[in-house]
Amino acid sequence: MIFNELYGAYYAAVSKIIAKAIDKPLKKEEIRKIAEECAFGESAMNIEAALHDERWQLILPDGSTPIINKPTMPLTKLQKRWMKAISQDPRVRLFEEVFPDLDDVEPLFDCDDIVVFDKYSDGDPYTDKEYIRNFRLILDAIRNRYPLRITAKGGKGREFNYTLMPEYLEYSEKDDKFRMIGTGRRGTLIVNLGRIISCESYGNEYIPEYNPVMKPEQATVEMEIVDERNALERVLLHFAHFENRAERIDENRYKISVTYDKDDLTEILIRILSFGPVVKVTGPGDFVKLIKERLISQKSCEQ
Amino acid sequence: MAYSELIKNFNRIREYMREFYVYGFKSREEFNNKSSRSYDDERRRVENWLGDYMNFRTTSKGKNVFISIDSRMVRHNPLYKAWKAKSFTDGDITLHFLLFDILSSPEKSLNMREIIDEMDERLSGFENPKNFDESTVRKKLKEYIEEGLIISEKRGRSVYYKRAADDEMCSTDCLDFFSEVSPCGVIGSCLLDRIESPASRFAFKHHYITSAMDSEILRLLLEAINDKKSVICETKNCKRGRKETKNIVPLKIFVSVQNGRQYLMGYSENFNRIMSKRVDSIDAVKIGEKCDDFDYYRETLDKMQSHMWGVSTQSQSGQRMEHVDFTVKYNDREKHIHQRLEREKRCGTVERLDENTSRFSADIYDAWEMVPWIRTFICRITEINFSNKELEKQFREDIKEMYRLYGLCDSEGGEGV
Repeated sequence: MIFNELYGAYYAAVSKIIAKAIDKPLKKEEIRKIAEECAFGESAMNIEAALHDERWQLILPDGSTPIINKPTMPLTKLQKRWMKAISQDPRVRLFEEVFPDLDDVEPLFDCDDIVVFDKYSDGDPYTDKEYIRNFRLILDAIRNRYPLRITAKGGKGREFNYTLMPEYLEYSEKDDKFRMIGTGRRGTLIVNLGRIISCESYGNEYIPEYNPVMKPEQATVEMEIVDERNALERVLLHFAHFENRAERIDENRYKISVTYDKDDLTEILIRILSFGPVVKVTGPGDFVKLIKERLISQKSCEQ
Repeated sequence: MAYSELIKNFNRIREYMREFYVYGFKSREEFNNKSSRSYDDERRRVENWLGDYMNFRTTSKGKNVFISIDSRMVRHNPLYKAWKAKSFTDGDITLHFLLFDILSSPEKSLNMREIIDEMDERLSGFENPKNFDESTVRKKLKEYIEEGLIISEKRGRSVYYKRAADDEMCSTDCLDFFSEVSPCGVIGSCLLDRIESPASRFAFKHHYITSAMDSEILRLLLEAINDKKSVICETKNCKRGRKETKNIVPLKIFVSVQNGRQYLMGYSENFNRIMSKRVDSIDAVKIGEKCDDFDYYRETLDKMQSHMWGVSTQSQSGQRMEHVDFTVKYNDREKHIHQRLEREKRCGTVERLDENTSRFSADIYDAWEMVPWIRTFICRITEINFSNKELEKQFREDIKEMYRLYGLCDSEGGEGV
C-alpha cells in the first residue's frame, strides 16, 4: 500500500531527529527545526510534543536517544517493484544507472501495460549513442558546474554555436523531448537536445557572467466557458498545469484565467480553439484578435 | 475527534484536493454533503501540506479556497505530500524505530524473546517505559514481513527475525526524473525522502500532476494486470447519487499527456466488450479472481489500438468504424504544418497533395474523439468529411457558432465549411 506511515513525513522527520540525537543530545528548538524542514505546517509542534511527553519513547528527557544505530530501513517490496518497472523504461538509458540486483523482483508494471496515447511521435532518440552521450555530459556539467560548447541545428536547419553554463533540463511529456536551459553571455539559452550536433566540455577559460535564468515572460488569457458537454471539467483539467483561476459567473457560465509563457502563445491559441464554441476568449484584446484572424481565415477557406 | 494534520483514510482528502486544485471556485457552503467542520478540517490539512500553493478569494457567495500551481516552476509534485500524511499510533512509531535499531543488520537474527528483552533495555531510561507485549510486536513484525522489510525463519520451534538486505537505490537524478513522469511516481518521491539530495536538475513542461491523487487505485489496477486478475471497481454515479460496482478485467492503462487523465482499459463483463473507465472516477478497487481469457482480451485490445484515437472503442453513430478525412492548406512559410500532422496523428495517414496542401485520413472507432485535434487546424481546413453525418453537421455548426461568438457573422451563421 502506498498510503502507509512508513513513507510518511513524520517517520522521515523522526528518523532525522534520532540520527542527530545519536551524535549529541538535542534541544527542543533543534527538534522543532528538523520537524519543520521535513514535515508539514503544524508538524513541528506535534512531533516535539509527542517526543517530549514520551508518547513516542525515542528521545530521553536530556535530548539523547536510546536508539543506538542511525535509523535505516530496507527498501519495501513496493519500492523495489517500482524501481524494477522504471529499469525497463527506454529513458533510463540516459542515466548512468546501475540498478541493484532486482532479478527476483516482479516489476510493478511492464512498459506494455501503459500506453501514452497522445504524445507526439517525433520524440527524442533515447537509444541513440550520441544522444545518450550528450545527455550524460550535460547532466554532469549541471551537476559539477562547468561550461559547454555546443553546436546545434536551429528550427530552419541553420547551425548555431553556443558557449553556455547549463542550469537544468526540461522535459515535456507531450513533446517527449528534453531541452537544456542554460545561461550564456546574452542571457538565457534554450537548446533542444535532439538538435545538438556536437557537445563538448568548454576547455578554455570561461568567465561566468551573472546571467541568472530568466523566468519566461508571462501573459494571461481570460475565457468564458459555457458548461455544456462537460466543458468545464475538460477545460479546467486541460489547463490545470498552468497557474489558473476559475470563477462562476452564473448557473452554467464560468470565467477562467490562465497564465502562460508568452513564447507559447501559438500553442495556447490552438489549444483554446480545440474546445470549439464552449470557450470564448474575452481578453486581452490582442488574443481575441488572433482568434478572430484564424476564424476569418477559416471562413475564407470555405469560399 | 480532535483535529490532526494526519489522516487515516485517503479517499476523502482525494476528493477535496481535486476540488481545490482542479475547480477552485466553490465556497464552503457549496461543498454539498459535507459538514462545515469536515470542510474546515480538510481545508486546514491541505493548507498545512501545501501552504505555499493555497490561495483564497472572496466572492459574493463566500470565501473560495483554491490550489494554483504552475507545474513548470516546481521540481517535485507538491500533491505527493498528501500521501505522506498517514496517521499512526504512538506505539507504531516507537516500535518501528526500536525494531530496526535492534535488528540493525541483515546478519543479526533474533527470536521474539530476545527482541523484547532488547526493547525493554532501551526503554528503561524513560520514567514510564512502554511495555510492548508479544502479540503487538509479532503483529508489527508480520506487517513488516509483508512489506518485505523483515525476513522470518523457523529454527526448531523458534521463529527468528532479521531485517531484509539493504539494497541500493537508483541515483538521485534518476529518481528526480522518474518520480515525476512514471506511473505511481509518488513511490519514487518516497525513495527520494530517504536521502539528502540536492535540488533536482529537472523541470517539466506540460506536466499534469493531478493523477498523483489516484496513485493507490492505479497501483491496485497494475497489480491486477500483472496477475491477470479481474477487479471489482467501485465508482460514484453522480447522476444517480449512489455507488456502483463493476466487474472489469483490467488490460492496460491509457494515459493522456494532453489533459493528464488516466484511463483503465478493460473488458467489461456487464457490457461484454472492451471499454475505458477514468481512473479518477474509481473510488475503490478490489482484486478478484484470475481471468483465463486475459491474454485473449489483451491481444484484442492490441489489435484495436490502430483504430483508436483516444480511449473510445465504440462510435456513437452505431457504425463499427467511422471514416474521417480533412484537407489543410498552408503558405510557403507554414510548411511545418505537414510535419505537425505527421507528428501529432495517432493513427491514420497523411498525404502531401501539393507544395501547400496536405490531407489526413483515418478509419477509427469514434471520430468524436478526433474533433478537438481537427479544430486546432482552424484557419486552414479547406475540406472535411465524416462518415458519421451527424458529427459532420455538429462540427460545421460549431464552427458557425464560433463565428457568431466573435461577431464574425449574423445569427444565420453564414456559409459552412
